[in-house]
Amino acid sequence: MLLELREITKSFGGVRALKGVSFDLRAGEIHALVGENGAGKSTLIKVVTGAHAPDQGDLWVQGQAVAAMSPTRARELGIAAIYQQPALFPDLTVAENIAIGLEPGGVLRRIRWKERGDRARRLLERIGARIDVQTRVRKLSMPEQQLVEIARALGAEARILIMDEPTASLSDQEVDRLFQVIVDLKAHGVGVVYISHRLEELPRVADRVTALRDGAVVGTRRMDETSRGELIRMMVGRELKAVFPKTAVAAGDVVLETRGLSCARTGVRNVDLVVRAGEIVGLAGLVGAGRTELARVLFGLTPADGGEIRLRDRPVKIPSPGAAVRLGVAYVPEDRRRHGVILEMTTAANITLATLRQISRLGFLDFARERAIAHDYVARLGVKTPSLDAPVGNLSGGNQQKVALARWLVAGPALLILDEPTQGVDVGAKAEIHRLMSELAERGLAVLMISSELPEILGMSDRIVVMRSGAIMGTLERSGATQESILELALGHTAAARTAS
Amino acid sequence: MSTSSAEVRSNGILAALAPHRRELSVLLAYVVLLLVLAVVAPRFFRPDPIRALLVSNASVLVAAVGMTMIILCRQIDISIGSIFSVCGVAAGLLVKMGLPMPVVGLGTIAVGCLLGALNGLLVAGLRLPSIVATLATMVVWRESLRYAREGQFVRDLPPSFQWFGLGQALGQTAVVALAAVVFVVFAWSLRNVAVGRSVLAVGSDPEAARLVGIPPGRVIFGVFTLMGLLAGLAALLNAVRFADVDPGAGGGLELQVIAAVVVGGTAVTGGRGTLLGTLIGVALLGSIGPALVFMDAKPQWEKAVQGLIILAAVATDALERQER
Amino acid sequence: MATPEPLEPPPPTPLTHAPGPAVSILPVLLVLEIVVFSLIGTNFFTTANAFEVIRLSVEIGLLAVALTPVITTGGIDLSVGSLMGLSAVVFGKLWRDAGAPIPLAAAGTLVCGAVAGALNGFLITRGRIPPLIVTLGTYSLARGLAEGLTGGVDNYTNFPPSFLALGQGYLAGGAPTQAPLFVVVALAFWLLLHRTTIGRGLSAIGYSPEGARHAGLPVDRWVGLVYILSGSTASLAAVVYASHLGQAKADAGTGYELAAITAVVLGGTSIFGGKGSVHGTILGLFAIALLQIGLRLADLPAELAGVATGLVLLAAIGLDRRGERGPRHHSSVSSSESLTVKNSQVAVICAAILAAAAINFAGNAYLVRAIARERPAVLPSSTEAGSRAASTDHAPRAPLTVALMPKSKGNAYFITCRQGAEEAAAELGVNLLWDGPTDPDPAKQNEVIDTWITRGVDVIAVAVENREGVSSVLRKARERGIKTLTWDADAEEDAREFFVNQATPEGIGRTLMDNAARILGGKGSFAIITASLTAGNMIAWQKAIEARRLEKYPNITMAALRPCDDLQKKAFDETTTVLNANPAVKLFMAICSPAVPGAAEAVKQSGRTDVKVIGIGLPNDSKRYVHAGITDCVILWNTRDLGYLTVRAASAVARGELKRGATRFAAGRLGEVHIEGTDILLGQPYLFTKDNIDKFDF
Repeated sequence: MLLELREITKSFGGVRALKGVSFDLRAGEIHALVGENGAGKSTLIKVVTGAHAPDQGDLWVQGQAVAAMSPTRARELGIAAIYQQPALFPDLTVAENIAIGLEPGGVLRRIRWKERGDRARRLLERIGARIDVQTRVRKLSMPEQQLVEIARALGAEARILIMDEPTASLSDQEVDRLFQVIVDLKAHGVGVVYISHRLEELPRVADRVTALRDGAVVGTRRMDETSRGELIRMMVGRELKAVFPKTAVAAGDVVLETRGLSCARTGVRNVDLVVRAGEIVGLAGLVGAGRTELARVLFGLTPADGGEIRLRDRPVKIPSPGAAVRLGVAYVPEDRRRHGVILEMTTAANITLATLRQISRLGFLDFARERAIAHDYVARLGVKTPSLDAPVGNLSGGNQQKVALARWLVAGPALLILDEPTQGVDVGAKAEIHRLMSELAERGLAVLMISSELPEILGMSDRIVVMRSGAIMGTLERSGATQESILELALGHTAAARTAS
Repeated sequence: MSTSSAEVRSNGILAALAPHRRELSVLLAYVVLLLVLAVVAPRFFRPDPIRALLVSNASVLVAAVGMTMIILCRQIDISIGSIFSVCGVAAGLLVKMGLPMPVVGLGTIAVGCLLGALNGLLVAGLRLPSIVATLATMVVWRESLRYAREGQFVRDLPPSFQWFGLGQALGQTAVVALAAVVFVVFAWSLRNVAVGRSVLAVGSDPEAARLVGIPPGRVIFGVFTLMGLLAGLAALLNAVRFADVDPGAGGGLELQVIAAVVVGGTAVTGGRGTLLGTLIGVALLGSIGPALVFMDAKPQWEKAVQGLIILAAVATDALERQER
Repeated sequence: MATPEPLEPPPPTPLTHAPGPAVSILPVLLVLEIVVFSLIGTNFFTTANAFEVIRLSVEIGLLAVALTPVITTGGIDLSVGSLMGLSAVVFGKLWRDAGAPIPLAAAGTLVCGAVAGALNGFLITRGRIPPLIVTLGTYSLARGLAEGLTGGVDNYTNFPPSFLALGQGYLAGGAPTQAPLFVVVALAFWLLLHRTTIGRGLSAIGYSPEGARHAGLPVDRWVGLVYILSGSTASLAAVVYASHLGQAKADAGTGYELAAITAVVLGGTSIFGGKGSVHGTILGLFAIALLQIGLRLADLPAELAGVATGLVLLAAIGLDRRGERGPRHHSSVSSSESLTVKNSQVAVICAAILAAAAINFAGNAYLVRAIARERPAVLPSSTEAGSRAASTDHAPRAPLTVALMPKSKGNAYFITCRQGAEEAAAELGVNLLWDGPTDPDPAKQNEVIDTWITRGVDVIAVAVENREGVSSVLRKARERGIKTLTWDADAEEDAREFFVNQATPEGIGRTLMDNAARILGGKGSFAIITASLTAGNMIAWQKAIEARRLEKYPNITMAALRPCDDLQKKAFDETTTVLNANPAVKLFMAICSPAVPGAAEAVKQSGRTDVKVIGIGLPNDSKRYVHAGITDCVILWNTRDLGYLTVRAASAVARGELKRGATRFAAGRLGEVHIEGTDILLGQPYLFTKDNIDKFDF
C-alpha cells in the first residue's frame, strides 16, 4: 500500500470540504478519482501533498504515518502532483520550472544549468512536447504550461503521482502520449491518482475508481466492473439524464452580425456570425480555438482591427467594454472569480456594478434603489446569499455565477454572451442557469453561448457555430448536430477518435 | 510581434541578448551619458574622478543589492536609510568602546541584521504590507536616533577606524573591493545557487513556490534580514571613509536606492530583474551629479534630470511592453 | 481550460461599506489620547487647541483626503509633496512675475497641479507602469522643476493681507479661516468616494481592476481622474500653505507625502486597494496631530511623537490585518505554514528587539547628556564675571516659563546653545522648554509656536528658519500677551521684541570672503558647499559673500555652488567632484556645519595641499583639519553664550526689566552687552584658527 488516507476531515471557514474521506493507492495502480466540481477532489489531493493540513484523520505513506505533511515533506516521501491550475513561475524559464523542487540538496547548492536544460528537454521529449526549455513560462500557452507541469511531475520520479485534470487542455496526440507514459510508470510500480472529468478516458488507464460527492466517498469500484452510467449515478446521486429546458422560439430580427471580423493580436480571423433575437447560438470548439477571444472582441476588451460589427443592423465600433455596455452587449466571462464578480464586494454592489447609472442620480448613488434592484434579482434568480451585504466571495460557485448573470440582466442587454456559463457550478444551479437562459431567449434576448461541454451545446443551442484557430469552421442546425459532427469541424481533418469511444 | 521574433531568430547574438533588453537599454543610456561627457568634459575620465565615483557609490551599490532582492520578492523596504544611519552610529560607538575593527565590523553588521530581521518579522510573520511596516520602522529608528544623538557626530575615533586603519589608498581599494565582492557573490548566487532561485520563485508566484516546497515566509524573512545586513555593511563602508560618523548619513538613501534598482530594470511586481541591471542603475544615477558638475550645469536642475531619467527608464519599459 | 474548484470559500472579508477594524479602533485611540493628554498636558482640552489642531492639519489633511481615493484604487502618489513645491513656485511666478491677481494665480496653480496629476495618470493607465515607480519619478521631477525654475533661491513673499487672512485669520468663534475650505474639500472627497458611482467604481478597481473592466467600467479614465484630483489638491494645499506661511518657495511640502500616506493608512485604507474611507483618513490625521500636539503640550520631546506615530501605525495595521485574508493581487505570504513561528512568538521577539533598541538609545542619550553636562565651560567669555553675577539678580517671583526653539532638532549646532540656555535657566530659576521641529520644514516651527501659545508660556524665543513664515504666528503670540524674541536668525521686526544677534549675514559674508581673499591672494576661484539650495540662512550668506566679492575682489570667481543636503558624506562627494572637475578651484567655503569636516576630508583625501577649506562650523569638528593645515579657519560665535544670552534676555523681557529703547543689558556672566536698535549683540563671530581652536570645546 503506497498511500492511505483515513477519515480525513477538512473545513474552510465553517464549510466542510472533506467529511471523513478514506482513500488508498497501491503500488503499480492507477486509481481514478471522480466527482462533480466541488466534491472535494482538489482539496483531497492538496491534503496529500501537504498544501492543506487536515483538521482530522491520518495520512499513511508506504506504511508510515505522517504527522505533519508539508510540500517539502511530500517531496521527500516521493509524492509529486500536477495541479489543475499550473503552479508554475511565470518569470522563470521552462527548464527552471521543471527543475525547481526536483533537485536534491540544501539551499546553498549550486545550480547546474546544463543539467537542468538537458533534463527538461528529456522530460518534455518523453511526453512528446516540443517546447524550448529556455522560454519564460509567461510566454507559453495554457496547454504548453500543462505539459511543463506534467514534465515536472514526471521528473520528480515519484512513487506516488497525483494528476488533477492533466488532459483538460491537451490535444489528442498529447493525451495519447501521456497515457503511454502513465502506463509505463505503472509498470515500474508507481501509483497514480488520476482525476478527470472525462469519464470516457478512464477505462483506458484506470484500475480502480473512487467517486466523491459533497466531500464524502460514495464508493470505490474496479474500473472493469463499473460503467459510465454507474459512475455518473455515484457522482450526482441520480442518473444524469440531460434535461435541457430549451424551448423552441421563433428567431426574431438579427441582433448581431459580424462580417470578416478580425483581431490580429488575439488571433481572431475573418469571423462572419449572425445571432438573432430569441436565439441561443452555441459556440463550440476546442480550448484555444478562439471562442473566448471572439467574445472579448465583441465586448471591446480587445477591440477588433478588421471587419465589421453590426448591432440591430447598424454598424458599430466597440472600442471598450463601456461602449459595449452602452450598445447593449453583455458578457459573462469564463473566469468568474477574477473577472465575473468582485469577490470582496457585496452581492448588491456586484449586481449593480455594470449599471451604476440606473442606481444613481447625477452621479450620486441611490442606496434604496440599489437594494430594491438587488433584492429583486436575488429573488428572481434564486441567489442563495445570507444577505445583500454578504461579500460575493462567501457564496458558492453557482450563486456567484447567478450574481454575475444578474449584473447583466439588470442592464437589459440585446445580446448576452455567456462564456462557459456552467463551468464549476453544481448540478442544481446548472439546471437553474439553463432554465434561465431559455427564459431569456424566449423573451427575445439574443444569446451567444460558449461551452466546452458538448451535451450543453447540443441541448441548449438553436444553432451551433464551430471554431478552430480563430476562425469559424462551420455552422450546424440544432436538428442535424451530433457530438461527432461538431468534433469533426472542431478538430479539422484529424478524426475525432477520442470522443468517439 | 512577428517582425521582432523574426529578427531575433535571424540573429543569434540578438537572441542571446533578448532577455537582457532592459539592462541593455539602461546601459545604452549610460553609454550616451559617457559619450557626451567624453566630448564636453574629457577630464571626467581621469583616474581621480573615477576612483571618487567608485568609492562613493560602493556603499550605495551594497544597499542596492539588498533592495534588488527585496523588490524581486515583491516587497519594498523604505527603512534602509534609517537602518543605515543607526548602523553608522553603532560602528562609531563600538569603535570608541575600544573594540578591534573586525569586531566593530561584525557588530555593525549584526545591528543591521537585527533591524532587518525585525522588518522581516513584521512583514513575513505578522503579514503587514511591507511598505507600511517599513514606513513605520523608518520613522521609529530615525526619530529615536535623532533623540539619542541630536545630530552630533561621533567624534574622536581611533585611527584604526578610518579606512579600517589601512591608510587611504589601500582603504579605498578595500571599500571598493568589498562592495565588488558582495556584488559578484550575490549576482552569482542569485543566478546559480538554489536559494537565489527561491527568491525569484517567491517573487514570481508565492503560492506556486509553496507548492514546490519553497516556504515564501521564510524567504521573505531572510531577504529582509539580508537587506538589514547589507545596509549595515553599506553603512560601515561609508563610515570608514570619514574620520567622524554623521548620524544623518542615511537620509534619503532609500529613495536613491529604490530608484537605482527600478532604473536598472527590476520589476516592482516581483520575479523579474537582475543585479547587473542594478549595477548599471547605480552607476547611471550616481554619475549624473558629478557629470553635471563636470558639464558645469546649474545644480538646481539635478533633481529634475534625475526624475526625467527615472521616468524615461520606466517609459521605455512601457513602450517595450506595448510592442509585444 | 482549467477552472478552480470553488472548494475554498474565502474567510469573510470586511464589507465595502463596513468600517474596517482600524476605523473602529481609531475613535478609541483618539479618546485615549484626549484623556491622557488632558491629564498630562497643559491646556490640551480647550477649544483653542482644538482649532489649532485643525489649522495645523489642513495642508497634510488636504493631501491625505485626496490620496484616499488614489490608495483605494490600489495606487499610490508619492509626488504630492513635491507637487506642492512646484505649485508654490508656479503660484508665486504667476502672481509676482506674471502679475496675475491672486484668484487667477490660484486657478492657474490648480491647473498646473491637474496637469502634473494627468501626467501621473497617463503613465499609469496608458503606460501600465506601477504607480509607485511613476510617482517616484515625478516626485524627483516636480521638486527638481521647482528648484530649477527658482534656482531654489526665489522666495515669493509680500502677498496682500486679504490673501494672508485665508491662512492666518480667524472666523467668528475662533475657528481658523482655512477650516471651512478643508471641510468642503474633505466633504467633496467623502461624497466622491462613498456616495457616487465613481467612488463605487474606484473601490471595485482597487479590489480587481480586471473585474471592474469586465463590468464595463471606464477603469483608465477613473484612475486617471483620481491622480488628477490628487495633483490639483496638492496645488490647493500649496496655495493654502502659501497663505499660511506668507511665502511660496520651492521647498514647500517637503516630506508631506509620507505624513499624508501615514494618515491614510492609519485610517484603515488598505494599501492593496479596494477598502478605503475618507472619514477614516480624517480620524487617522487627527490621531497623529493630537499625538504630536499632546506630547508637546506635555513638554515631551518632539522625536517621541515620531516614534509613537510609527508604533501606532504598526499596531493599527497589525490589528487591521488580523483575521483578514492575505492580499489577493500582491499576495506576499499566503500560507500559515510558511513560517513556523507563531504570532505570539513574533510579538515577543518584536517586543524584545524594540526593548533592546530602546535601552540602547536611552543609554546613548543618557551618555550624551552626561558627557555634555560634565564638559567644563572653557570659554573666554565665561570666565570671572560668571556665576557670581548670576546669583544676585533673581528675585523670588513665580517661575517664568521660557520656551526656546532651535531651527530643528537633531542639529548638533544647537546642542551647545541648549547647554548655555540651561545654564542661564538654572541661574534664573526659570522653567526652560526646549523643542523644535524634527523636519527641516518651514511650517513646522509655526506648529510648535502655536502649541506653545495654547499651552501658555511667558516668553518664546525662536531661532527662525523662515522669516516670513514665522512672523505672523509670533505676532499672534504677542497679541496673546506672550513676549517674543528671536535668536540665531531673525523674523520681521514687528513680530518680536528683540533679536539676539550673534552675527549678521553681512558680517559673516565679509569675514568669509575676506579670509578667502587672504588665502587666495586676491585672485583665483573658489567653490561653496551649502546645505540646500532653498534654506533661508544659506541663501542670505551666499548673497552676502557674493556682495562682498563684487565689492572688493573682482579677480576672484565663484566656480561652483553645490548643495550637500546637510550630510557630511554628500559634502565630501561634492567637494571631490568639484576638485576633479575644476582643478583651478583652490578654496572651499563650507557654510553648513556637516559640510566643513566633509569638505576638509575630501581635500585631505585628494592629497591636494594647495587647496584650503574655510567655513562656518563647530570647532570640534574641524580641529584635526585645522591642525593638518587643510582647514584654514572656521567662523562661529560662541554658541553656548548665544543660548545663555537668549534666556537671560528672554526672562528680562518677560519680567519687564528689558524694554525696547535700552542700549545696554546686564547679561549675567557675560556682563554688559550692547543693544543696537532692537538687536542684542552677542559680539563678533569668532575666527577659530590653528592658534586658538584648542581652547574651545563645542
